Amino acid sequence: MTEFSLLSPIQGQKGVQGIIVANSEGIPIKSTLDNSSTVQYAGLIHQLVMKARSTIRDIDPQNDLTFMRVRSKKNEIMIAPDKDFFLIVIQNPSD
Amino acid sequence: MSATGGKEEGKRRCPLLLRPASRTLNTSVSHGGPRGAHQRSRQTTSVLGCHSRRSFSLGGSKVLEKNVVQTPRQAVQVFDEENNDVTPQPLYQADPGAVQPMLFVDEISVGSASDQPTATGSFTLPFSRYQSLRSVFGSSRISSQSTTESVDDEDMFSKRDIPLSFPDVKVKKDTEKEQVTEDMLKDITEVFISETDTFSLLDMPSSFVSVDADEAEATIARNHQYEEVCRNRVSRDKTVERSVQTLTGTTKNKHVQSNGLMVVDADVCMSTATNVTICDMCEPLSDAEQEETAGICNPVKTDHAEGVTYSSRGADRSVSVGSTATTVSASGSLKEVDVKALNAEMEWELIMLSETFQLYLQTVERSILQNSFHPQLAAYRQLPVLGDPESPVKNEIVEQRTGDTDGGPSLQCLWVFSCELSRGRSVSCMTWNRKNPDLLAVGHGEFNSGNQKPGLVSCWSIKNLKWPEHIVHCDSAVTTLDFSANSPSQLAVGTHDGSITIHNVHSQDNRSHGVSSRDSPNRHLGPVWQLRWTQQEVSSTGEEKVEALLSVGADGRISKWFSFKDGLDCIDLMKLRRIQNTETKAGGKRTEMMAESVLTALTPGLCFDFHPTDSSIYLTGTWEGLIHQCSCSNSEQFLETYRKHFCPVNCVAWSPFNPDVFLSCSSDWTIQLWKQHHLKPVLGFISAQKAVYDIKWSPKWPTVFGAVNGGQLEIWDLSSSILDPVIVQPAAPGVRMTSLLFSSQADCVVVGDSDGHVTVYQLKNLNVGEQSQVDVLEDLICSAASR
Repeated sequence: MTEFSLLSPIQGQKGVQGIIVANSEGIPIKSTLDNSSTVQYAGLIHQLVMKARSTIRDIDPQNDLTFMRVRSKKNEIMIAPDKDFFLIVIQNPSD
Repeated sequence: MSATGGKEEGKRRCPLLLRPASRTLNTSVSHGGPRGAHQRSRQTTSVLGCHSRRSFSLGGSKVLEKNVVQTPRQAVQVFDEENNDVTPQPLYQADPGAVQPMLFVDEISVGSASDQPTATGSFTLPFSRYQSLRSVFGSSRISSQSTTESVDDEDMFSKRDIPLSFPDVKVKKDTEKEQVTEDMLKDITEVFISETDTFSLLDMPSSFVSVDADEAEATIARNHQYEEVCRNRVSRDKTVERSVQTLTGTTKNKHVQSNGLMVVDADVCMSTATNVTICDMCEPLSDAEQEETAGICNPVKTDHAEGVTYSSRGADRSVSVGSTATTVSASGSLKEVDVKALNAEMEWELIMLSETFQLYLQTVERSILQNSFHPQLAAYRQLPVLGDPESPVKNEIVEQRTGDTDGGPSLQCLWVFSCELSRGRSVSCMTWNRKNPDLLAVGHGEFNSGNQKPGLVSCWSIKNLKWPEHIVHCDSAVTTLDFSANSPSQLAVGTHDGSITIHNVHSQDNRSHGVSSRDSPNRHLGPVWQLRWTQQEVSSTGEEKVEALLSVGADGRISKWFSFKDGLDCIDLMKLRRIQNTETKAGGKRTEMMAESVLTALTPGLCFDFHPTDSSIYLTGTWEGLIHQCSCSNSEQFLETYRKHFCPVNCVAWSPFNPDVFLSCSSDWTIQLWKQHHLKPVLGFISAQKAVYDIKWSPKWPTVFGAVNGGQLEIWDLSSSILDPVIVQPAAPGVRMTSLLFSSQADCVVVGDSDGHVTVYQLKNLNVGEQSQVDVLEDLICSAASR
C-alpha cells in the first residue's frame, strides 16, 4: 500500500486542491502541495488545531476534538486531528 | 636521591668529612668557585618546610627570588682524610653591584636513597648569560623520601639556595644589618612562603587494653566514668528556644509593559529538510536511492532511534521527528538531513498503517463528497439549500430549482451510483439496509445470457457517492439480496447457481465467503429468485422475533434456511406444484384440484412477498402466471390461487397501507391490482408493451406505486389517474431498467439498469391529494369491484 493508493481517492475528487499529512508538532510529512505552501499550512493549522482542542477541553475535559472544517470564501479546509498526526485537505467545491 | 650532572661532589662527599656547622643545615654543594679570599658563605634562606613525606619538585620553573637571609649562616668546611681543606670554592664570582636574582632550576630527584638523609643536587646555571647578575646556585633539594614519615630530623628541612658569597654584600648572619642600597630598593623582592612542619602541642595517643588483661576492669570502669562525666557535664551551649514570626509583606501588583516579542518562524531551518521529504514523496523513490539513504543512515539510525525515545516532547509518542529536527537544524550536513528524511519515512509508514488514519481518510473523503454534491444531498435529505451569496454559480442553481416547482410531476436525477467495477454489469436487485437507511446493496448479475459471468454485490452509502463501501465478488450472477433485520450487517445473497451465501458487510475482506449453502444437499437446483428474511412469530421465550431466511427458487421450492454445521440447510415450506387445467367451471373455488398426473412437476417460483401484518401468509408468483397465497404452516396446499397473468409473474407486492391489497406485475405487459380473497384482479394497468420487471409501492403515499419495464420508469398515482402513469421517465438509450426501489427517507426512487448504474431520482411535484390516501384506495377498489 503506497501512499499514492491511499491518497489518490481523495486527490481525485472534484475540487481537491491539496492534501497534507503532518505530525503532531506541525511538521509536514506528506503533501501534494508545493513546499512553501505546505509548510505554511502545516504550521498555521497546527496552531489552530491546538487552540481549538484546548477550547473544547476547557469546556469539558472529557471531550476532545475529532474533526474541523473551516469554510472560507474561496475554499474549505478539512482537518482531521489525531494525537499522532493530523490530516489536512483543502477543497474548492465549486471547481 | 641522586644528584644531577656535576654533582659528583655530592657523592664525593660521602667519604669526606663533613663538618656542618649546624646540624640543621644541610649543605649545598656549590661548585668551587674561584679560590680566593672570598669566604664562601652559605646562606640559608628561608627554610623550605617541604614536608618530609613527599614533596614535589617545581619542575623546570625558574623562580626568581631575592635572597633574603634570615637565618644565620654557617660556614661549612669540608675536609678529607688528610684534613685537607677541600672545601669547594665557588666557581663564579658574580659582579657585586649587580642585581642578584636568584635562579634556581629544580632538578628532578630520582629514586630515593634511604641512607642518605640529605641529598642535594646542585646545578650550574649558564652564568654567562647573566653576567651582570649575581647568580646563585640554587638547589632545591627535594627529599623524595617516599618512605615513611619516620624521617630523620635532618630531612625536615629542604634546602634552600645558598648564594655564593658576594663580597660586597656580605650577607651574613645578621640580616638586620644588611645594607639596603639604592639598587636593592628597586629590586623586586619576592618572598617565598613555605609550609612549616606540624607542631604538635599535645599528643595523647590512645592506648588499647585487651579485654583479657588485668587492667581491663579498671579501664572499663574508667571509661564508664568518663562517659558519665561527659553526659552530666553542663552543656556549654546556651541555647534558648524562641519563636520568630516572619511578617509577609503585602503584595503589590505592578504592571509591566514590554515590547512584543519578535517571533521568527523556524521554518527556515526546516525547509531544507522538508525539501528532501517532499522530494521523496513527489518523485518516486528508486530502489537505489532508497538503499543509498538507508546505507548512509544505518549507522546513525540507531543513535537517532535512541535519541528519539529519550526525547520527550510532552506527547506520548515513540517517534518524534520534531526533536531531531531541532538537533539537526543546527548542522546542515546531508547525512543528517537524510536521517530526518528517513525518520519522516518511518513516521509515514507508521501513520499509513494506523487505523485512525484510514478512518480519517474515509471521513475526509465523505466530507469532500458532501461538499461536491451538496445540493443533491440536501435535496435527498429534504433540506433547503441556502444560496451562497458570494458565489454567483450557486444562485443559478437556486433559480433553477424554484423554476421546477411550477411544472408538473417530474423526476429529477440527483446522482448516479456508479464505479468501474460495476460498470457494464447489469443490476439485478437492490435492497436497503434495515437499520441504516443510507446503505444500499446492489446486486449485479447477468443471467439472461448463456454464459455465467461472476456476480458482484456492491454496498453503497449515501455518504460516499463515488465508491461503494463494501464489495463482494460472487462466483455466479447475483439474483437476489436481502439484509437481515436482527443483525443488520448480514446480507443474504442468492445467486444464479442456486446457492445462498450470508455475508457480513462489516468485514473488510472482499473475498471472504460467508456462510453458504453451496454444499448443502438440499440447495436449490436452479437460480434462487428471491430471498427474504422474515420475522416469524415469537419464539417460546416470547421476547424476540425469530428471524428466518426464506427463499424461492427455480426448482419450485420455497425453503426455510438455517445454519447447520458450516453451511446452511433448509426445510421445505412449500413445493410449487404445477397445476394443469387451470380453468375452473365455477368461479370462486377456494381450493384447487391437484393435477392427477403422476409426475407432479414443480414450477419455478419467481417471487414472493409476505403479508405486512401476518407474517405467516405469503404470496408467491410462479412461472405459469399464477399467484398462490400460502401459509407457512401449511406446506401442502395453497390457500388461494389468483389467476390472471399468462406470463411469468415477476413481482408481487402487498400494499403497506392496505393489508388486503396487492399488486402484481408480469411479463405480459400488465400490472394487476388485487384484493385478497378476490380471485379476479380489481384493476389492471397497462402502459407500454413491454414486460414489467419490477413494481413497488411507495412507502409514503398509499396510492402511488412505481413500475419498471424495459424501457422506462413509470410512477403511477391512482388518485389522479388509473389509466396512465403520472410520471414516465424513459431510460437512457440502449439501457434497460431492471429494478426499482423507493427510498424510505426521501421522496426518491432508485433505479438500476442493465449498464450497472444505479440512479437516484427525486420525485417532484407529485401532488397527491389531500384526502387520506387509504380511503381513496378503498373507494377506488370498491368502485372498481362493483363494476
